[in-house]
Amino acid sequence: MEFFQRFAIPHPSPAIYASMVAIVLTMIAIVVGVTYFKKWGYLWREWLTTVDHKRIGIMYLISALLMLFRGGADAIMMRAQLAAPENTLLDAQHYNEIFTTHGVVMIIFMAMPFIMALMNFVVPLQIGARDVAFPRLNALSFWLFFMGAMLFNISFVVGGSPDAGWTSYFPLAGNEFSTSVGTNYYMIAIQIAGIGTLITGINFLVTILKMRAPGMTLMRMPMFTWSALITNLIIVFAFPVLTIALLMGTMDRLFGTHFFTLDNGGMDMLWANLFWIWGHPEVYILILPAFGVYSEVISTFSRRNLYGYTSMVASMVVISLLSFTVWVHHFFTMGQGALTNSIFSITTMAIAVPTGVKIFNWLLTMWRGKIVVTTPMLYSLLFIPLFTIGGVTGVMLGMSAADYQYHNTMFLVAHFHMVIIPGVVFAMLAGLTYWWPKMFGFMLNEKLGKAAAWVIAAGTLLAFMPMFFTGLDGQARRMYTYSETAGYTTGNMISFVGAAILAIGFVIIVYNIYYSFRYAPRNIGSDPWDARSLEWATHSPVPDYNFAVTPQVESREAFWDAKKKGHVLFKEELKKIHMPNSSGVPFIMSALFFVFGFGFIFSIWPLVIISGIGIFACMAHRSFEKDDGFYIPVEEVKETEEKLGGAK
Amino acid sequence: MRELFPMKQVMGFVFSLLLTVIALAVYFLDMSFATGITILLVTAFIQATVQLVVFMHAGETEDKASIYSNAFFGILLAVIIVLGTLLTMIWDMG
Amino acid sequence: MKVDQSLPLEYGTEQNQMNILGFWIFLGAEIMLFATLFASYFTLEHRIGSGPSGAEIFEITPVLIETFLLLTSSFTIGLAIHAMRLGRQKAMMGFLAVTLLLGLAFLGVEIYEFIHYYHVGATLQTSAFTAILLTTLGTHGAHVTLGLFWGLFILIQIKKRGLTPATANKSFIFSLYWHFLDVVWIFIFSFIYLKGMM
Repeated sequence: MEFFQRFAIPHPSPAIYASMVAIVLTMIAIVVGVTYFKKWGYLWREWLTTVDHKRIGIMYLISALLMLFRGGADAIMMRAQLAAPENTLLDAQHYNEIFTTHGVVMIIFMAMPFIMALMNFVVPLQIGARDVAFPRLNALSFWLFFMGAMLFNISFVVGGSPDAGWTSYFPLAGNEFSTSVGTNYYMIAIQIAGIGTLITGINFLVTILKMRAPGMTLMRMPMFTWSALITNLIIVFAFPVLTIALLMGTMDRLFGTHFFTLDNGGMDMLWANLFWIWGHPEVYILILPAFGVYSEVISTFSRRNLYGYTSMVASMVVISLLSFTVWVHHFFTMGQGALTNSIFSITTMAIAVPTGVKIFNWLLTMWRGKIVVTTPMLYSLLFIPLFTIGGVTGVMLGMSAADYQYHNTMFLVAHFHMVIIPGVVFAMLAGLTYWWPKMFGFMLNEKLGKAAAWVIAAGTLLAFMPMFFTGLDGQARRMYTYSETAGYTTGNMISFVGAAILAIGFVIIVYNIYYSFRYAPRNIGSDPWDARSLEWATHSPVPDYNFAVTPQVESREAFWDAKKKGHVLFKEELKKIHMPNSSGVPFIMSALFFVFGFGFIFSIWPLVIISGIGIFACMAHRSFEKDDGFYIPVEEVKETEEKLGGAK
Repeated sequence: MRELFPMKQVMGFVFSLLLTVIALAVYFLDMSFATGITILLVTAFIQATVQLVVFMHAGETEDKASIYSNAFFGILLAVIIVLGTLLTMIWDMG
Repeated sequence: MKVDQSLPLEYGTEQNQMNILGFWIFLGAEIMLFATLFASYFTLEHRIGSGPSGAEIFEITPVLIETFLLLTSSFTIGLAIHAMRLGRQKAMMGFLAVTLLLGLAFLGVEIYEFIHYYHVGATLQTSAFTAILLTTLGTHGAHVTLGLFWGLFILIQIKKRGLTPATANKSFIFSLYWHFLDVVWIFIFSFIYLKGMM
C-alpha cells in the first residue's frame, strides 16, 4: 500500500476527483466501444501501424485538437479565477499547476502537433513525392509525441502536475521547492516528445532536399514547403539544447547533482540560459509554418502569385540564423551586465525586420489581386492587424532598459498571446479549413467557419488588450489573485468575457466539423478552391500513393500553370508503385518509452531497466530487419484512379 | 596489402597525431593562458577539419552543398551559444 | 531497387543517399548537443564548491592513452571503409573488429578514470563542476558504448549477408558516427583536460 502512496495527488480537490472518474470511464468506454464494433484489427492495421504521412498527419491533427481543448479548459479556469478580486475558485497551488500545464500543453502538445499535422499531410504532396524520406521514423515521431503527451496529461490525476510555470525555472523547480513529482513529469514527458520532434526535423529536411519532383528546384517550391524546410532546420539545431537542459534538470531532481542548485557551485541561472537558447528558436518554429500557411492562402485567394518570392525566402533564412542570437531578451532582468543586454537588444530589434518584410509582401500580394473572402482568407485578413499589435509590443519589450518595467507583467503575457493566437492559431485554423477538403473529401461550412473566425478574433482582442494596460499599471503575471484596491478588476473582468467568447468560437468550430461531416456534399473534385500548387493536382481525399504518376514541374506554380497555360504535369506512363510496409515497432517502442518515462518520474527503477532494455531490443530488431516494402501493381493503380475520377 | 593502407588515410592519421602532440605543449610547457587557449583552438579546429574532409568524405557526392552548409551552420551556432553563454553568465555578470 | 553501379555501394541507391544525408544532419544536431554541454562546462568549470578542481584530479597518462586509442580507432574505421570500397570483405571486417576492440579499450580506461575520480572525492553529486564534467564525459562515453553495440550488429550482418548496398550503407554511416565521436573527443581532450591542467 505504501508503494501506491507516491501516486496520490498532493492537493486533491473535487474537480480532480471528478476528472479521475471521467478519465477512467472514458477509457472503459473506448475499450468497450472498439471491442463491440470489432475494430481492434482495423485500428492496428490502419492507424497504429501506419507509416503513411497522410494518416500520421491526421493523427497529429486529432491530438492537437484534443489538446487545444485541454489547454483551453486551463485558460477558462484561470480567467474565471481572476475575474473577481480575491476569488476562491482556485487556490494558489492549483492556479500554479494550471498556468503551468496551460503553457506546456498549448505550446508543446497543441501548437507543435498542429504544425506537424499540416507539414506531414501537405509537404510531400506539394513537392510531388509519395511519402517522406523515412516513413518508419515518421511514425516513431508521432508515437513518441503521443506518449509524451499522454504522460504529461495524466499528471494531474497521478502524482500531481508540475507547478513551476511552463519555463520551470530553478531553484523553484528543484527538489527543495517543488517536492511533488510534478516537475519530474515536466522534465521527462517533454524529453520524450522532444526526441520525436528532432527526428521529424531530420526527416523533413532530407525529404525536401532530396525528394522533390523533377524540375522543382528549390526556388520553385511552394512557400509553405520553404517554411517547412527552414522550420525543420531550426528544429534540428534547437532541440538538442533542450535535451541537455532537461537531462540536467532530471539529474538535479533524481540523482542529487548540482547543476542548478543554490549550493555546491550550482548556477540556477544556467537553466534559464539553456532553456531560452532553445525557447526562442522554438517560437520561430511555431510561427514560420504559420507564415507559410498565410503565404499559400493569401496568394490563392488574391488570385495571384505571392509577391516578393525571393525576399520571402531570404527573410526566413535570416530569421533562422537570427533566432539563435536573441535568447537573452527573455531574462534581461536576471543580473547580467548592460553590455550583454545591449547586444541582445540589438539582435532582437534586428529580427523584427525580416518579419516586417513578410507582412509587406502579403499586403502587396493582395494589392493587385482579386480578393475572395473565404474562411481561410478571413483568418489571414484578421491576422495582419492583430499580429502587428502583438509584434510591435515585442519590439517594445526588446529594449532592455524599458523591459525592466514590462518584464513578467501582464504586458508580456498580452504580447505573446497577441502574436501566438493571431499568428499561429489563426494560421492553423486557416490551414485546417484550406486543406480539409484534400484530407477528407468534403468542405467545411463557410458560414460557420467565418462566424467562428469573427468570434475568435473578437474574443482574442477582448481577452488580451486589457492586459497591456493592466500590465503597464503593474499587474504581475502568474499570481492567483489580486486585491480590489490594486485596480485591475475591470481589466480582468473584460478578459474573462473575452475568454468566454473565445471558447464560444471554438465550440462553433467543433459544431462546424460535425455539421459538415453530416451534411456537406462529397463530390467536390480535386481542386475546390481553384488553387495553385501540386497538392491540388491529385484527388480529394488523396489515394495511398499520392500521385499515380510523378509530376514534372516547369515553373513556380506548377498546378496553376497546368490549368491556365496548358503545361502538362503528368507525362509518364503508369508504372507499379513502390510503397513502404506498415510496422508495429514505432508504436511498441513508444509505449515502452511511456513505461520508461513513468518509471523515471516515480523512481521505479525495475520498470526503467526493463523498459529500457525493451527500447534497445526494438532498435536492435530494426538493425537486423530486412524490409524492402511492397509494390502496388499497375492494374490496381488504374482501378483506383478510375474510381476516384480519372487521372489528370 | 599496400592497397589497404591508402596514402590519404595514413597521412591524415599522422597529421592528427602531430596536432595532438602540439596541443600537449600547453601541458608540458609554461605559457600564458591566452597563448595556451589559442594553440588549443587552432589544433582542435584543424584536426576536426581533417576528420571532416579527409575521413568523412564530406565533399564526395552531389549532396556536398547540403552537407557543408549543415556542418557550417552547426559549428557557427555552436560557437554562438558557447560565446553567448560565457558572455551572459560569466564575463559580463555583475 | 535501382543500384547505380557508377557510385560506391553505400551511395548506390536513392534511399542510401538519403540515409547518409539524414545522418549528416543528425550529426549537426549532435554538434549542438555537445556544444550545450561545453557551454555549461565552461560556465560551471570553476564552481567546485567544497570539492576538487580539474587540476587536482586530472591525470595526463590515462587521458593520453584514451586519445591515442580513439584516434587510432578512427584511423582503422577509415581503413575499413576503404577496404569495403575495394570489395575486400574480410579485410573490412578485420578493420571493423579492431575498431570496436580499440573502442572497448577506450571505455575500459574511461571506467578506470571514473573510479579514480570517485576515490579522490569527485563524485557526480560533489559539485557543479563534477556534475558537468562527469555528464560531458559520460555522454561521450555513452555514445561510444552505443556505437560498440551498433558496430557489432553491423559486423554480424556483414558476416551473414556479405557486402550489399544495405550493409555498405550502414557501415559507412557507422564510420561517420565513429569519426564524429573522435572529433568530440578532440575538443574534450583540448578544452576539458588540457585546459584544466595548464
